Amino acid sequence: MPRETMRRQASDNEYLHPDFHGALSVGIEYLHEKYGEQAVRQYLWQFARTFYAPLTEALNTRGLAALAEHFRTVYALEGGAARFSLSEDELRIEVDACPAVKHMRQQGYPVARLYRATTETVNRAICHETPFAAELVEYDELTGRGIQRFFRRTTEGEFP
Amino acid sequence: MISCTEFIPAYSELFKFLEAQGGREAVEAFWEHLSDRFLGNLRSAVEQNGLRGCWMYWSHTLNEEAADFTMELDEEAGQFRIVMHRCPSMARLLQFTHIEPYYDYCRHCDVLYRRVLEPLGYQYTIDLSECRQARCALTISHSPR
Repeated sequence: MPRETMRRQASDNEYLHPDFHGALSVGIEYLHEKYGEQAVRQYLWQFARTFYAPLTEALNTRGLAALAEHFRTVYALEGGAARFSLSEDELRIEVDACPAVKHMRQQGYPVARLYRATTETVNRAICHETPFAAELVEYDELTGRGIQRFFRRTTEGEFP
Repeated sequence: MISCTEFIPAYSELFKFLEAQGGREAVEAFWEHLSDRFLGNLRSAVEQNGLRGCWMYWSHTLNEEAADFTMELDEEAGQFRIVMHRCPSMARLLQFTHIEPYYDYCRHCDVLYRRVLEPLGYQYTIDLSECRQARCALTISHSPR
């Protein structure tokens, strides 16, 4: 068999590797087993406060429209069906099936017991030190189907 | 939901978090755990197809990651090689101005894949000397039968 060569440039493909959901899930389960539930939430909180800092800033300056834009992009990219209901004081996102959970189930990857925290804790962290709060109104562990709600808060919330 | 396109910074921040919990040993221990738990598809591809299994595995992952790479398979010479002209993960981390990559980020590629391939009888070498410029090269080899 002669030598085979494959040459690719970044522009040849779209950046979308859904198996990364499985790797993140392994990381979350590992933290849970080794360091406990609080460590999972603390890690996700710190990650979200750092990485989504520009989104938090946009939420402060532009309001919930900034969050709606972000999540519309994410769910469109990941192929997840989501319905958005947006007003000045509230954003509601109804997800039929979480694309990450769906992919992991299809591939046979274990879904971490605290995987929901990638939505619940991360959303709360994004809203921290803004006029808004987040809650996960419904969540189905099997499919990731759920309802996320962001709303104008009356008192400042703190971690955890 | 954290998008899979946001996984790399989440991963980098996880390494920082683990190091804060238990030092470098805690990060190493996680890499070994991840290799054992998550790289079963690489292991089975190589067990079933030899070096071609490496070609099959990385053809899938590197294309989905939109990497800039050259990959070579020479089964007669018993060698598989990837030259990463621009690693999609490190390149992505370097693009962000508001986060700093974990200082030893690239070494997970050494630990994860070596741990799968060496027990299967392959030599694994990786050159990470230019990894902060998002470039690296890995070679996997064994003696021809």
